[in-house]
Amino acid sequence: MTKRILPVFLAFVMLLALGMSAQASSQPTAIVFWHSMSDEAGVLVEKFVKDFNDTIGKEKQITVEAVFQGQYSDATTKLNSVLTAETYDQLPDVMNLDATGKVAYFNSGRAYTLDDALKADAAYDIGQIQPITLNNWEFSGTKLGMPFAASTSIMFYNKTMLDAAGVKAPETFQDIIDISAKLPEKTADGLEVIAYSVVPNTPTLANWLGQLGSDMVNNKNGSEAMATELACIENGALAAFLTQWKAMYDAGALRNVAGTTDQFVAGQLAILTTSSSNITSLLEKIGGAFELGTGYYPKVTPEAHFGATVSGSCLVMFDKQDDARKAAAWELVKYLASPQVQAEFAAATGYVPVNAGAQDVPAYQELVEKHPQYEVPMSQLAITPAEMKSVTVGPAKDFYYAIQDNIAMMLDEGLSVEETVETMAEELGGLLRQYEQANK
Amino acid sequence: MMGVRQRSKLVGVLVQVAALGLGLVIIFPIVYGIFGAFKSAAEFSAFPPTFWPGSFAYTQNFRDALARVPFLRYGLNSLIVATLGTTVRLLFAVLAAFAFAFYNFRFKKALFLVILATMMLPGDTLLVTNYLTVSRLGLLDTYLGMAITSFVGATQMFMLRQSFLTFPRDLRDAGFIDGCGDLRFLATILLPITKPVLVTLFVQSFITMWNAYLWPLLVTNTNQMRTIQVGITMITSFEDTNYHLVLAGVTLSLLPSFLLFLILRHNLHRNMTAGALVG
Repeated sequence: MTKRILPVFLAFVMLLALGMSAQASSQPTAIVFWHSMSDEAGVLVEKFVKDFNDTIGKEKQITVEAVFQGQYSDATTKLNSVLTAETYDQLPDVMNLDATGKVAYFNSGRAYTLDDALKADAAYDIGQIQPITLNNWEFSGTKLGMPFAASTSIMFYNKTMLDAAGVKAPETFQDIIDISAKLPEKTADGLEVIAYSVVPNTPTLANWLGQLGSDMVNNKNGSEAMATELACIENGALAAFLTQWKAMYDAGALRNVAGTTDQFVAGQLAILTTSSSNITSLLEKIGGAFELGTGYYPKVTPEAHFGATVSGSCLVMFDKQDDARKAAAWELVKYLASPQVQAEFAAATGYVPVNAGAQDVPAYQELVEKHPQYEVPMSQLAITPAEMKSVTVGPAKDFYYAIQDNIAMMLDEGLSVEETVETMAEELGGLLRQYEQANK
Repeated sequence: MMGVRQRSKLVGVLVQVAALGLGLVIIFPIVYGIFGAFKSAAEFSAFPPTFWPGSFAYTQNFRDALARVPFLRYGLNSLIVATLGTTVRLLFAVLAAFAFAFYNFRFKKALFLVILATMMLPGDTLLVTNYLTVSRLGLLDTYLGMAITSFVGATQMFMLRQSFLTFPRDLRDAGFIDGCGDLRFLATILLPITKPVLVTLFVQSFITMWNAYLWPLLVTNTNQMRTIQVGITMITSFEDTNYHLVLAGVTLSLLPSFLLFLILRHNLHRNMTAGALVG
């Protein structure tokens, strides 16, 4: 059996070698793209890459192979393994990275950063990319990667219910208190109705502190270096937030538990704050039961800025020590951040386009025309202060629960704002210090 | 007064009830998961949640999952890796256990302890070192690379040694007198007798390898070499978990393990030495 297969195999290899040498003169640049997009987004990314290969790729002799590398954290584990093993030939040319891989990429020694690429291609207008999404991928003053998938938190409200109560969509915590007084007590099914239900934790509290112009922790919310202390105590931002939060709770407008989309869909909740990427699924779940309204993330006080932090992922490039490959990688990155691709991506997934030009693309305009709800995340991104950054802390889990527990305790046991600020400063600050000492 | 027989009967019933209850608790997530594979997305978001799917004829989830991910190819990859890894692992384990059970040599105890000590190392700590080794061996993106780290398993070796130790020495001596050498003794007497243990270890090991996720993901770089568990993560995403599709994928991925269990089930509880030394 083996005897018969071997000659056939050898012949095949020789043919292959012949074919390759014949092609060598006009060989296209082959690059590898690792991504972590699964579900519909995964299907779409594969399609974008195919489109690229069929158009720009064909024209510029580039072929891209897209490979799914598991979820972001798995892909980061893989990146770390490759870097530790120093098997640099295994690195991709372009990689889809979230915050978990930022530091590893920065320290890899093989980074071909967005800044490098921009230097090489002066013609590219980086101004078309939303500044806040761009800022998310800046580290120690270097733009590491091109934003690709961005989502932000916005407010959803039951427009039918608010209209019936004769009130407008809220903008501030005080508005929510006012609205609460006018809502019906029970739904048609006899379920209790509450105006707003949410728990402050690391990401949500970061939004409200950011609106007040304050970071939660130092080193720009831990994005520049390890966060070692709180940055919201002395400036009074935490106290200001807690005061408003308590007022909302005491007025009966707030339930201090995580409100769910199911409660919102069932009409038990008038206002829900969650990721903008839920628009599509919420529209589906609600069907025609009521009109879905979207608005900016509610503000702590009228003086605060509108806005919420951005999360998502970016595209980074690796230096494979081959100029043709670097140029090819940059072509792919430009393509994936182009208005057309970003508009299509947003329309299908609910991500916010990172390219401002997406607004002019018919696919996006049609979407916004059909569902005006999609317009909100994009315009909120545009007005969110660019210095607002999501929080990265070492003891992420403990930190998250300490915020939640301390605020719940304030409300349940009627502690004063001052007392709560004090215990939070002590407990959260302690967590950061402990982590710093253990990871020096 | 309750008679002794009555009391032991009562204890027996209680034990049965407790075992049944425990069994139900263990099987519940599996049954719930399989039922979930037949539910539509709308049924999943229904409140209060339902246990029974609306209809078992609803196969859209399976069709969607199969359309989105090449489960057959990935299943084949997993099958090859799990079979290869498990077979070689058992082979090594049998030989090592045989030596530790029947031979006497220097440092036997120390060596055995060294092997046991490897059981204390959490797999995650070896991830990067193993990656380094496998990549230097040039085995990235190969079945061998995915399976090679499972070729030697301390647990299997330990279990087999314990089982070999219970083997009556007299039987081995009897074999020797009749001119039966070590290999023949191993192949024709010892292994058939320890078949239940071997089968149990095979099934357990196969399922572990079938379920492996991070390692196969690490050492493969192309879409064609992915395993079935990686395929399942392809249908879920951070923004939308798609429980109905995931459970359809999980149900599909459970089939081989389930079939393996069914085929080998009657081997899992047999005591072949019973009666071998009668008289």
